[in-house]
Amino acid sequence: MPSFTLLAQSVLSGIFIGALYGLLGLGLSLTWGMLRQINLAHFALAFLGAYLTFQLTHGAGWDPLATLLVVVPCFFLLGASMHWLFARFAITPFNSLLVTFGLTVIVESLIQWIWTADQRLMDSAYGAVRFKLGALYVPLPELLTLVLAVALSLAAWAGLRYTDLGRAMRAAAEDAPIAAAFGVNERSLSLLLSGISAAFAGVAGLCIALSFTLAPSQIYAWIGVVFAVVMIGGLGNPIGPLVAGIVIGISESLTMALTSPAWAPLVSFSLLIVVLLARAKKI
Amino acid sequence: MLELDRIQVSYGAAPALWEVSLAIGAGELVCVVGPNGAGKTTLINAIAGLNRVRNGRITMDGRDLTSLAPHCYCDEGIAIVPESRRLFTGMTVLENLELGSYRLAARPGRAQSVERVLNVFPALRERLHAAAGTLSGGQQQMVAIGRALMAKPRLLLLDEPSLGLAPSIVLEMFEVIRDINAGGVAVLLVEQNVAMALEVATRAYVLEEGRIAGEGAPSALLATPHIRRAYLGER
Ligand SMILES: Nc1ncnc2c1ncn2[C@@H]1O[C@H](COP(=O)(O)OP(=O)(O)O)[C@@H](O)[C@H]1O
Ligand SMILES: [Mg+2]
Repeated sequence: MPSFTLLAQSVLSGIFIGALYGLLGLGLSLTWGMLRQINLAHFALAFLGAYLTFQLTHGAGWDPLATLLVVVPCFFLLGASMHWLFARFAITPFNSLLVTFGLTVIVESLIQWIWTADQRLMDSAYGAVRFKLGALYVPLPELLTLVLAVALSLAAWAGLRYTDLGRAMRAAAEDAPIAAAFGVNERSLSLLLSGISAAFAGVAGLCIALSFTLAPSQIYAWIGVVFAVVMIGGLGNPIGPLVAGIVIGISESLTMALTSPAWAPLVSFSLLIVVLLARAKKI
Repeated sequence: MLELDRIQVSYGAAPALWEVSLAIGAGELVCVVGPNGAGKTTLINAIAGLNRVRNGRITMDGRDLTSLAPHCYCDEGIAIVPESRRLFTGMTVLENLELGSYRLAARPGRAQSVERVLNVFPALRERLHAAAGTLSGGQQQMVAIGRALMAKPRLLLLDEPSLGLAPSIVLEMFEVIRDINAGGVAVLLVEQNVAMALEVATRAYVLEEGRIAGEGAPSALLATPHIRRAYLGER
């Protein structure tokens, strides 16, 4: 039996990795639930963001957080233009999966072409900073990820709930023609939401760059577990991915501490199946 | 105020309205009756911007609306209470009402608008924070009418507001519609409850198989043998 400290440290690192799952799932869940588009390219965007952060920090010597000033607006525009193209060609939900898979491959090649397939690790001022919390270690990059994930999830929740634009998005997601009859311009709101989602991917990219070694093929490593997080959290629910992400993160890291790392993926998908079955029974 | 000039609306290749012309003056309460499938919903949805008009023109005070984007129709002061209500069921009653006042011209004085709706439908006051989908049919109809009133319309479109409601609530709905009209809002009412609709209307149209088959004062229509046979169950 591992020591209490080791278990507590596992729970903590589960929370941190879970926050990143949640942050990656947030934009995916919003566009899937509210625009009926399954954007696989969300992961590629996040890695593009990670490499941009790497470049600006490692190459140009920026502070990692300052890179958001560039990445967020660029990604907003990128996401909005992608959606504009999808709307222009009337892409169906199923086709969106295929098209964004294609985009993912393109972005992967682009990353490989610019930064090669070698592993990259960002040296930043944040990387080495660790706080001590009793017997536990709290690394700054992971803490930053948690703070960003919580802040963005709450901001998305509040925006959808309390602002006119957010309510209009929810109304249009449920019944677009009637929302339009009350003045909701669904098309421009979709552009806005897609832009915001892509910007969230950019922020997730910063977090990936802060804590992980980058390689183009890593894009695919996250898809399975983040999809599970999005499904468990409920499509279109802004808080769901974070909560589900942390639950899965903790379960995974406890499984790793108690058994072996090989069992970790089993945990997330068993959880997914249990949740989906429980939900199916309720209906 | 509102004028339809020979409008034609189709679903795919199948036309649902053929050259329908109709006019509503400011402050009128106009009613459209007709059998199921006649095109009443198609007509009212076209006026709200929900259906594309293929031929003909819709004008409001002379302004052509036909080529406007759907979300611009409400800026002309048109609000709809759609068939089967179509509330945003996942949102609260208050959120549904406030969405009604989404258009910029309706946003100032939102709190007063909500208060006005609650005075018309006091039953909604204690359900304000309930999800709209959890309300009874009658209360949902109140929310649908309230949502439309929140838009501060000049022209209120009502598509079978009495459908599926208990008779006592139907009476109350007609009272409310009359009051709204008395407050200066023009009303276009589509009803299957022909007797009641013709009682409150100032003028009425008969729509059959996508065409206007009659028009006139309710009393004149009620005197027509065809109307009495087809809609009032007389032999
Ligand atoms: N969404 C639709 N797609 C195809 N046909 C439709 C649609 N809605 C209505 N129709 C057809 O158009 C005609 C008029 O329907 P509708 O306007 O709903 O009539 P009403 O409201 O008078 O009952 C009917 O023949 C109906 O089958
Ligand atoms: Mg109808």
